[in-house]
Amino acid sequence: MRDYLSLNAQILYWTLLAPFRGRPVRLAHVFEQMVRIGVQAVPMTALTSLSIGITLAMQGAHELSRMGATGYVPDLVALSLLRELGPLLVGVVVIGRSGSAVTAELGTMKVSEEIEALEVMAINPVRFLVVPRFLAMMIMLPALTVFGSYIGMAGGWIICHFSLDLETAAYIRRLIESSKPMDLYSGTVKSFVFAWLIITISCFYGLAVKGGAEGVGRSTTNSVVVCILTMLIADAILTGVFFFAES
Amino acid sequence: MSEPVIEVRDLVRKFGDRTVLNGISFTVEKGDTMIIMGGSGCGKSTLLRHIIGSMQPTSGSIKIFGEEITTMPRAQIEKLRLRFGMNFQFGALLQSLTVGENVALPLRENSQVDPEIIDLVVKLKLELVGLTGFEHMKPAEISGGMRKRVGLARAVALDPELLFSDEPTSGLDPIMTAVIDQLTLDLTRKLDMTAVVVSHDMTSAFRIGTKMIMLGAGKKQGHIIAMGTPEEIRNSDNPEVQQFINGQPDGPIPLKLAKEDYLERLLGQPRPEDM
Repeated sequence: MRDYLSLNAQILYWTLLAPFRGRPVRLAHVFEQMVRIGVQAVPMTALTSLSIGITLAMQGAHELSRMGATGYVPDLVALSLLRELGPLLVGVVVIGRSGSAVTAELGTMKVSEEIEALEVMAINPVRFLVVPRFLAMMIMLPALTVFGSYIGMAGGWIICHFSLDLETAAYIRRLIESSKPMDLYSGTVKSFVFAWLIITISCFYGLAVKGGAEGVGRSTTNSVVVCILTMLIADAILTGVFFFAES
Repeated sequence: MSEPVIEVRDLVRKFGDRTVLNGISFTVEKGDTMIIMGGSGCGKSTLLRHIIGSMQPTSGSIKIFGEEITTMPRAQIEKLRLRFGMNFQFGALLQSLTVGENVALPLRENSQVDPEIIDLVVKLKLELVGLTGFEHMKPAEISGGMRKRVGLARAVALDPELLFSDEPTSGLDPIMTAVIDQLTLDLTRKLDMTAVVVSHDMTSAFRIGTKMIMLGAGKKQGHIIAMGTPEEIRNSDNPEVQQFINGQPDGPIPLKLAKEDYLERLLGQPRPEDM
């Protein structure tokens, strides 16, 4: 645990303090990681979000039709996605796709002595490897979350328009009327917190690998599991905080 | 008489209850090429890692350029590391970068040199190790021996005062071994670079070494069993040393157990007297 906090402290140092002491962040590396962590996750995120949007709308329509309230399906879709399912599911996709890749990559570097070689060359591994990935995740996960939420709403539209015969304009109007800015903000804040947790945990497990290929495999699995659990717990806490703040 | 470049005193390192290094002491003067030899598992690489500061000893002192590194803060060790280069056993190249980018890495990260000059230096260093034209290949695309040579090029990219090499010639063909040896000789003799080489290539060791130490195994695990100039080592009257440098399969370091011990090992009990 102490090592994990130490890693966080080092990340903060290299992102916030060191640039003012003449050791700037390498933007080229950050952009490279943004492509690998974020841009390449877009297809999977879009597909997942679309399915969730469709499923939500279907389930919602099924239940609400019993009360004759299918007009509220867009509300259900918008609120669920913006507040909860958008951040959570995009988080899970990114953990499975990018988080595990980061752990495996750093872990493999660790067992092939590459991390040690960097240290011996007086190149700080946190600065060189972790910080670009950290910044990339902090930028891309919230972006992917917002993107995913809206794709999900498009999925909702598919059901509402073709199955419930709701006009597109009416659908959009319901979306706008039912959701408040706070819904979007709370979802985005959640995704920032998730981003922080996911990348620090993934890098931590990657750099801590011992023991060859088996070690890399084990660390990657543990990293994914811990990321998901931590994210779910953080989600519960943040949801409570936001409800409390609104009342 | 200037102070030694490396001074190791009573270095002890334990892993749990296993003592890998047990009171190692030696010095390396400027311009020396120190060869560290010994059988597999005797602690050569562990010793090297202590000297470069990657591992901390259980007890003992290590001074590099006159400064004690076992108690040094991280930032200071980093500054010290700029003065030496290390070539790892399997190259330890970054797989995600090309050969050229790997060699350029210390220059790019630790100096403000112009990119064009960096390119030039990369070409020079690759030419030095016989790998001209390989800048754009990835480490996975070249052979193990080539990776080692790229590692050496990277280790000397900043023209360090002190060079560490972990088995620089194992896995290389005889001609390439001679090339690397010649290169090491040029660097050390002409540029006054000090070198510490872990090796069990005896031809190479006697070619380039000015001082040698041999680490013991088995009962003598973790001790230096021989230290001196190549001449002194070659004429050593220690039978273990002679067995090692002449590459004999059997001697004080036994290949096979004695008959009684072997049967005991197989059957799990001492052999009955009457058989």
